[in-house]
Amino acid sequence: MVIRSDEPGDAPGGREVRSRRVRPYALTGGRTRSRHQLLVETMISVPSYDAEFAETLLPESRSLYENARSPVSLAELSASLSIPLGVIRILVSDLAAEEAVFIHPTGHTYQYDHTILERILDGLNKLSA
Amino acid sequence: MRKILIVGAGQAGLQLGLSLLDHDYDVTVMSARTPEEIRGGRVMSTQAMFHTALQYERDHKLNLWEEPAPAIEGLGVSIAASDGSRALDWVGVLDNYAQSVDQRVKMPGWLELFEDRGGKVVFHGVTTSDLDSLTRHYELVVVAAGKGELVQLFGRDAERSVHTEPQRVLSVSYVHGAERRPEHPDMDAVRFNAVPGVGELFVIPGYTFSGPCEIPFFEGLPGGPLDCWSDRPGPSEHWGRMLELMRQYVPWEYERFKGAELTDGQATLSGGYTPVVRHPVGELPSGGAVLGVADVVVANDPITGQGSNNASRCAAVYRDSILERGDQPFDRQWMRDTFERYWERAEPVTRWTNAMLQPPPEHVMNLFGAAESNPVIRNRFANAFDDPSDYDDWFLDPKLAEEYLRQVSETEE
Ligand SMILES: Cc1cc2nc3c(=O)[nH]c(=O)nc-3n(C[C@H](O)[C@H](O)[C@H](O)COP(=O)(O)OP(=O)(O)OC[C@H]3O[C@@H](n4cnc5c(N)ncnc54)[C@H](O)[C@@H]3O)c2cc1C
Repeated sequence: MVIRSDEPGDAPGGREVRSRRVRPYALTGGRTRSRHQLLVETMISVPSYDAEFAETLLPESRSLYENARSPVSLAELSASLSIPLGVIRILVSDLAAEEAVFIHPTGHTYQYDHTILERILDGLNKLSA
Repeated sequence: MRKILIVGAGQAGLQLGLSLLDHDYDVTVMSARTPEEIRGGRVMSTQAMFHTALQYERDHKLNLWEEPAPAIEGLGVSIAASDGSRALDWVGVLDNYAQSVDQRVKMPGWLELFEDRGGKVVFHGVTTSDLDSLTRHYELVVVAAGKGELVQLFGRDAERSVHTEPQRVLSVSYVHGAERRPEHPDMDAVRFNAVPGVGELFVIPGYTFSGPCEIPFFEGLPGGPLDCWSDRPGPSEHWGRMLELMRQYVPWEYERFKGAELTDGQATLSGGYTPVVRHPVGELPSGGAVLGVADVVVANDPITGQGSNNASRCAAVYRDSILERGDQPFDRQWMRDTFERYWERAEPVTRWTNAMLQPPPEHVMNLFGAAESNPVIRNRFANAFDDPSDYDDWFLDPKLAEEYLRQVSETEE
């Protein structure tokens, strides 16, 4: 999983100015929270493929599951399956909750703007639609 | 467990999602922004919420900031005279306090709470093509995306919509360092200042990251002197301009704000939107249907401070309707019935709000005038912010207003 540390300073693109003061009010029940976010470049894979389980899935989830038998990014999945990114995110998060797919950890080293990537991807999907 | 998707992590989406978790629904919320992004973003509202709405939050243990947020115990009205003095000035006392917690504090906190309580959160700016497939994966998809682009899925209801253009130009700053109004130094109150022909200045005692604050909020008539934000000034210029307008049009408020400072670098907001009522069912190309909630379906001008209250009412009505549905399908008829149930509560709010956008008619000025010497009237006006259907019985209609005035003056004698 992409671990979103709660440190505002580590994200690219000028986000470091965000307030640190919020922590005392955030009320996170005392635990150390790690935030998860499925980015377009996040890689996923199926840890142990189960043909019977695949049969039980709805068509879109099933093709996603099949395609993730070797590591693949959300962007690639969206483009190759022509499934909108939002749907990919939902399906991946559901499969991950069942531990049917594994979400590879990503660092914070990416220097590009995610929203631009998403727009490119949306554009690609529209062209191929 | 029934599977429900909620698009949008605002007052309506999160309140509904969190309240459904209490009843064992499998709920996913899709949010365009992460908690960190919301915290670091611009202020969005002045979000004064009254007792009924606050009680819905308490019912589901969502009142995480009740302790530190100022308790708003009154609601005052001032009307400017042409010479800069006040033609009228009083404060009504609320039976139960109101509160305003910066949505930048509240929504990220609720998103985290939602995950802690077992809800699923997916960060994504949802498009109609996403929704087109997602309706197949959920038993119910609720669109709680506020005034965002997804409203295009929901047609304008021409019979219930009165306006075709924005009625006010809005301008907000969150500031520290202002005193309370000298008329009530021991009590926090929402102040409503009307300047005939120009607009209104609201002041809401609120709570933000750095603690209690005041939120001055101009509602300017389009084309008038308060309509001066199209150049999108930076934060300090924005606040400077608001101060200058206060000095000119509401000098009694200027007096307590002249030394105040912005709470942070994202504490200003300006803009405007057209009040609208929409049809509640959105149709998707693949044949799916989605249900609109709160601002998506009923967006009134914020002049009466009711949008968040309505979002809360709407989330509560939808929750009840979902629970009562049991295992039956959430079909289009159920969606329409569910919205009508909400509209019963939203309609009086809409009627009153649209009336408040007009210059006050004679009977309202008579009521406001009488309220200055009669606490019964001013308290009733203040408390009806919590239940605006009450205005139908004495405030909106000239005949009923006259009758009411006669009644209260008799009981006074
Ligand atoms: C200046 C101003 C002052 C106000 N003052 C008050 C007041 O004092 N009292 C009061 O009761 N009301 C007030 N309101 C109104 C109130 O803020 C709104 O009515 C209320 O926030 C509506 O709640 P909501 O949940 O419907 O929408 P919102 O609070 O707008 O939440 C919608 C959420 O959906 C997200 N979203 C949008 N599009 C997408 C998408 N495509 N995918 C995923 N997520 C998406 C947004 O980012 C947002 O988080 C005020 C409004 C303004 C503008």
